Amino acid sequence: MTDLVTLTIDDRQVSVPKGTLVLDAAARLGIEIPVFCSHPKLDPVACCRMCLVEISGPRGMLLQTACSVPVAQDMVVKTATQQVREVQEANLAFILLNHPLDCPICDKGGECPLQDQTLQFGPGLSQLVEPKRLKHKNHLISETIVLDQERCVVCWRCIRYLEEWEDKPQLALFERGGKTLIDIQEGQPVDAKTSGNIIDLCPVGALTNRVARFSYRPWEIERTPSLCTHCSLGCNLRLDTRTHKLRRVVGRENMQVNDQWLCDKGRFAHGWVNDDGRLTMPLVRKNGTLTPASWSEALGLVADKLQAVKRQHGASAVGAIGSAKLSNESNYLLQRWMRQSIGSNNIDHRDGADVAALPTGLPALAGLMKPQYGPAPRYDVVLLVGVDPSEELPVLDVHLKRAVRRGKTQLVVVHPRQIELTRYPGAFLQAAPGSEVTLINGLLRAVAEPGSAAWALVADASDQQVEALCGVAAAALQKAAALLAGAQNPLLVYGPMAARGESGPPLRQALTNLALYLGKPANLAYVGLEANSQGCRDLGVLPNRLPGHAALDDSAAAKALGKLWGCKLPAAPGKSYKQMLDSAGGDIKALYILGANPASERPLWAQTLARLEFLVVQEIFLTETAALADVVLPAVSWAEQDGTFTNLERRVQRAPKALNNPQSKAAPDWMILDHLASAFDAPWSHANAQAVTAEIAAVVPAYAGLTWEALGDQGLQWNGSGPAAAYARAEQPALPVSPTDSLQLTAGTVLYDGGKLFGLTRQMQGGAFGAEVRLHPSDSASLGVGEGEVVTVSSPYGSLQLTVKVDTTVKPGVAWVPESLPGAPVGALLNGSAQARVSIQKK
Amino acid sequence: MAIREFLKGATEIGKAMGVTLKALAEQPVTTEYPRDPVPLYPRFRGKHELRRYENGMERCIGCMLCEAACPTGAIYVEAAENDPQHPTSPGERYATVYEVNLLRCIFCGDCEEACPTEAIVLGHDFAMANYNRRDFILTKAELLNPGEPNVVIRPE
Repeated sequence: MTDLVTLTIDDRQVSVPKGTLVLDAAARLGIEIPVFCSHPKLDPVACCRMCLVEISGPRGMLLQTACSVPVAQDMVVKTATQQVREVQEANLAFILLNHPLDCPICDKGGECPLQDQTLQFGPGLSQLVEPKRLKHKNHLISETIVLDQERCVVCWRCIRYLEEWEDKPQLALFERGGKTLIDIQEGQPVDAKTSGNIIDLCPVGALTNRVARFSYRPWEIERTPSLCTHCSLGCNLRLDTRTHKLRRVVGRENMQVNDQWLCDKGRFAHGWVNDDGRLTMPLVRKNGTLTPASWSEALGLVADKLQAVKRQHGASAVGAIGSAKLSNESNYLLQRWMRQSIGSNNIDHRDGADVAALPTGLPALAGLMKPQYGPAPRYDVVLLVGVDPSEELPVLDVHLKRAVRRGKTQLVVVHPRQIELTRYPGAFLQAAPGSEVTLINGLLRAVAEPGSAAWALVADASDQQVEALCGVAAAALQKAAALLAGAQNPLLVYGPMAARGESGPPLRQALTNLALYLGKPANLAYVGLEANSQGCRDLGVLPNRLPGHAALDDSAAAKALGKLWGCKLPAAPGKSYKQMLDSAGGDIKALYILGANPASERPLWAQTLARLEFLVVQEIFLTETAALADVVLPAVSWAEQDGTFTNLERRVQRAPKALNNPQSKAAPDWMILDHLASAFDAPWSHANAQAVTAEIAAVVPAYAGLTWEALGDQGLQWNGSGPAAAYARAEQPALPVSPTDSLQLTAGTVLYDGGKLFGLTRQMQGGAFGAEVRLHPSDSASLGVGEGEVVTVSSPYGSLQLTVKVDTTVKPGVAWVPESLPGAPVGALLNGSAQARVSIQKK
Repeated sequence: MAIREFLKGATEIGKAMGVTLKALAEQPVTTEYPRDPVPLYPRFRGKHELRRYENGMERCIGCMLCEAACPTGAIYVEAAENDPQHPTSPGERYATVYEVNLLRCIFCGDCEEACPTEAIVLGHDFAMANYNRRDFILTKAELLNPGEPNVVIRPE
């Protein structure tokens, strides 16, 4: 319990907790003290001197900075005296001395604290007659952020954000006095993954968004509270639109999810929303080419053809693929249509049934966040297995860094690459890809008491075994084990990189064993990487699960669903994503693909999809997969339709419609599916997306009571627990054995991947990954290939031409290739898992 | 009686003819428009024009303040960044689109007053009739190249 301190501000008494700053105490009374450098998310520095007020002290009433002085008992503060007024006027006159006053062309004009405070507290008249000091006006500190050094008031907010939150001091002060300016180090642009947040923090127009530059004025945009769909964190943001165009994206505060931060991909990569390449008309293949058609023609054709395939080959010959990039509503209707109208469980999404996941997601993001104003992080040790938050979930990365630096959280990282987070104290276990099961077993063996039941399960995973198979030294393993054994409240997180393919289920079991032994089975979490990975699982977009994670043979759940839907549910398990695509053209005769692009993932799938009798693709762009389709149904993006998304901590959040394109005939996903079901004699007649949300709430027990209105702007987290965890033996799957000169390939998700949606933001392409393979210097030396050389990487499944990058962060003996590179699908070398043996030849 | 009435009538006619004869020598008060130009007050507000500097650069910087000031929403502006090698206007910003909807405009002159660079001005051209509704939307090219540049910069 914190002590309360009572003080007097402007003759009014207020009681606040000890340690509160005078500024915040005044804000409680509704008294505004002007500030520039002070920000609630940053440590005080008191450098702008704008908040000087009279505060009582041992030497009487003295001017002190309200943003850095903590309250004291019986303190007297005066904020409106003649002296304070004079100081505020003088200070503003001083700040404006060299300010260019080019408000008409400044993007901040209209929402600028400097403008507002000059009007409210400023002198009104300028005394300056001399010319102003000239500095750089169009200074790029990165490809996406422009710095105007003339407008800068040297408040240090940008410097402090990069230091305190990103832990990347890439901006600094140079020169002195009136010449002081903020700049990057020579030739080293700001490359922090969340650097765009300094634009939101800047109190003047010094830092502006280069992607949105000059395309909006704050007084004429419509602001829609929405959320980001680039990763599974579900950061809250605001979409600013004007004349049917998305103009810019800014962060929105949600203290349960993203604080107020956004990553640069979420903030800047939105050019695709208004791209001219978007689909605007249904396309039907006639004489071999896709030609525009009417909606009734296209939907009629889809219904006729699918019914014909079902009659001829049975319901199991039809499959549907959902998308974790799309909303709960769209995915729910797709699986309902598949199960009700087609009568098959052939429904899955990428990283769906092929990944060994857990149903519940992260316990709570807020438990990881350690803002200066909140409680200490709830987790003292975080184990990351096959997850690289810096590339996959950048705002989680910021939370983790804050937890490490302010909350003394320790990280144990298991990853084949020396990822960014390994720079913090803790343990880094650079396990060979595919050997994670042995490593986790070895960890449990080191943690567990010899002779205990848990120990007996992993008795064979000795230090020697771990060293031989995983390439991890016993000392590192013991250090990680000591951290985990000493943890009060450890959090164990694993991701799809480790959970794909046949090593997934044993890894999940190995981690379950470890979590059980540590006494925290609920703290084990699988995180999917796409915006609605969690929602797709919750809503049964899986071949072996009904909505609400019910098993197919759960007769009570199947009966309840059948009653609601008015049909009998199919009982036979369906095919997974990989199985459907592998057998396309074989057992699977027709596919309905919603917002997925498997043809770009593996060249093999492009071939199998082409062999299908009938392929329907519902997309926003003519992707590689859509180009193979018989019918392409144009959908609108997440910004143009209402929908809800479930993030990695089970928080259901809503993304309302922010804009529409009056020239386009594209329709919301739920509406297309609703009409399609009508063509199958199953009229659902949902009036709007909210009606679908209401139906989901009725169908999925964990979502009970959720309504569009109840979700509000901050979303709601559903409570739930997975199936009871139990000890079982986790067997290491055999690693492929092949010639000694071959390397172990591993693929990794990267933030700037050059995928379709990212590639359309021109300004960000400088940071994008090219078609490359990264090798440790020792491997590149032994192979005799150098940096920049083009090599042929081949595996038993295929080969790719890639450029060599020498990278010390990659484990020796490992070839690392980023996923989703344009023109270089790493899936060509893989067979469903994230690993394979590859050989590398010079071209 | 008859003579008196005749004289009275003749006087009246004479008076009337006097007015006519007097006016015969005066200049006419009407104007033979369109043959003759119409006299306008200096502060008359007619069709909009966008001005340039002497060096040919556009004065408009695309700040959209006119759009904000317009009480009828008649102005639409889109801005972009100048190419540093070939700038359209001084500074970093210029207008890529500038449209005035004459059917909405009430010629109040608020746009002139809002303009920080005196780029948008209301000229003296008042003949704005047209055959097509679409033609009532003045584009940037039309605004920059008025038929008769006859702009008066008002001192206020």
